[in-house]
Amino acid sequence: MKPFVSHFKIAAVAAVVAAAAIAGIVAVVRLDTTGGGPKRLGDAFVYDIDKLAAIDPQLITYRMLRTFETGLAESRAIAAGPGGAVYAAGDRQVRIFDKTGRRTDLIEIDGTPTCLAISGGRLYVGVRDRVEVYSGTQRTEAWPKAAADSLFSSIAAAGGDVFVADAGNRVVLRYNRQGSLVGRIGERDPERNVPGLVVPSPYLDVAVGPDGLLRAANPGRLCIEAYTSDGYLEFSWGKPSSSIEGFCGCCNPVNFAMFAGGRYVTFEKGLQRVKIYNADGSFGTVAAGPQQLGYDGARPCRTVTECGSGGFDVAVDDEQNVLVLDTVRNVVRIFCEKTK
Amino acid sequence: MKADETTDRRSFLRRIGRWLGGIAMAGSAGYLCFDSRSRGTVWQIDPYTCVACGNCATHCVLQESAVKCVHAYAVCGYCRICFGFFGPEPAGITEAAENQLCPTGAINRKYVEDPYYQYSIDEALCNGCGKCVEGCNTFGNGSLFLQVRHDRCLNCNECAIAAVCPSGAFKRIPAGRPYLFKEP
Repeated sequence: MKPFVSHFKIAAVAAVVAAAAIAGIVAVVRLDTTGGGPKRLGDAFVYDIDKLAAIDPQLITYRMLRTFETGLAESRAIAAGPGGAVYAAGDRQVRIFDKTGRRTDLIEIDGTPTCLAISGGRLYVGVRDRVEVYSGTQRTEAWPKAAADSLFSSIAAAGGDVFVADAGNRVVLRYNRQGSLVGRIGERDPERNVPGLVVPSPYLDVAVGPDGLLRAANPGRLCIEAYTSDGYLEFSWGKPSSSIEGFCGCCNPVNFAMFAGGRYVTFEKGLQRVKIYNADGSFGTVAAGPQQLGYDGARPCRTVTECGSGGFDVAVDDEQNVLVLDTVRNVVRIFCEKTK
Repeated sequence: MKADETTDRRSFLRRIGRWLGGIAMAGSAGYLCFDSRSRGTVWQIDPYTCVACGNCATHCVLQESAVKCVHAYAVCGYCRICFGFFGPEPAGITEAAENQLCPTGAINRKYVEDPYYQYSIDEALCNGCGKCVEGCNTFGNGSLFLQVRHDRCLNCNECAIAAVCPSGAFKRIPAGRPYLFKEP
């Protein structure tokens, strides 16, 4: 009898240990470590934008040509140089890559570069509240600082003008090539029918079109506006909408660039979409959605810290490919038309 | 120099000892006063790591959660189309209930001037689900965020929400500074 009790005890202890181990494994497997698990609240409390992130494949007319890492911890801005060169700014550097993604040069910047432009053989780098000019990798000029609360977010140069978007003060500053401030564009002016730039987040982008007009995103009004260099508003286009034709969210597009023929490539944060608009502002096609940008779900971020860096910069190279700087993963993605 | 004015080594050391003892006592008293205020801790949510999973609304031991949404006005863009207020596909840009994201209608929208609107939380209606926080984080500046309201929190030793928080955003902080606010 005694051996039986002993065996029974051993078997009971073994069963308890096995049950505990199974329970532990199940608990670990079912642990919700991301917050993405099912909610105990009803469907009305679920924030779901997956449906909006789904893009009709017929609309996507671009394919990814190449991708490479910038090697920067915090990538900020991208620009296309001559001969397919790619300039990526961030940390305290501007890194230069050739068309294959091989790094060819590096410029150390005294500060965090926030935007850059290449024009007339010169590289213009915005460093928060000032502009530095480089020839090759040598700094040739450092323009005076703007206002204390300035935050330069974009530069565009054409002709004798250099337009600098100051997101901190919701204005586009017009400089001449020598660095003298000659005008302010986009400030509210009812007499000239200028509604004023609305910049809720630190994104304000500019470009100069082939027609010579300055284009400035007005993210708070979800449109792009065209100005003469004297600050007269010529026209605007864009509409708020969650559908693919419009700009979604509270403040978009955060970045855009222009093709040689006058078309636009835009980037929207939130629902990450790289879209092509025709020169008249009508919707064209899609270059990339969240999936093409390498994000499985609709959102690349969950916390405000992650989402704050989600304003990808875009540029167009001389072969009319679309360059996208992923500021979350610090990679450059180059998209070309599928027909190429 | 008179003999009674001279200071020998023993009296000098005694005097120094008194001073050091006094300073030590004052320091100890000050430390104990300060420490007794800061030793107590309370639960709070780190808004920079919170993923607005919804557990705050369902796991608090209170019938109505101690967690509420709060608004950092200095961070807000005062957007006309706020995605913390409007659903992802609003039928119109009005305050009509069907356009609102919040299932309990806990966010108020008030016109300031073209094109700016102010948003405020009606705490009595907020259940801390974090749906508006998700919208604001994804599309906006993240000015809406969740905080444990200490006029409601029981400060349980083992917080039921902290036990299931997937991002580790729930933490103990000094009771003297019981909130973690966002800065612009």
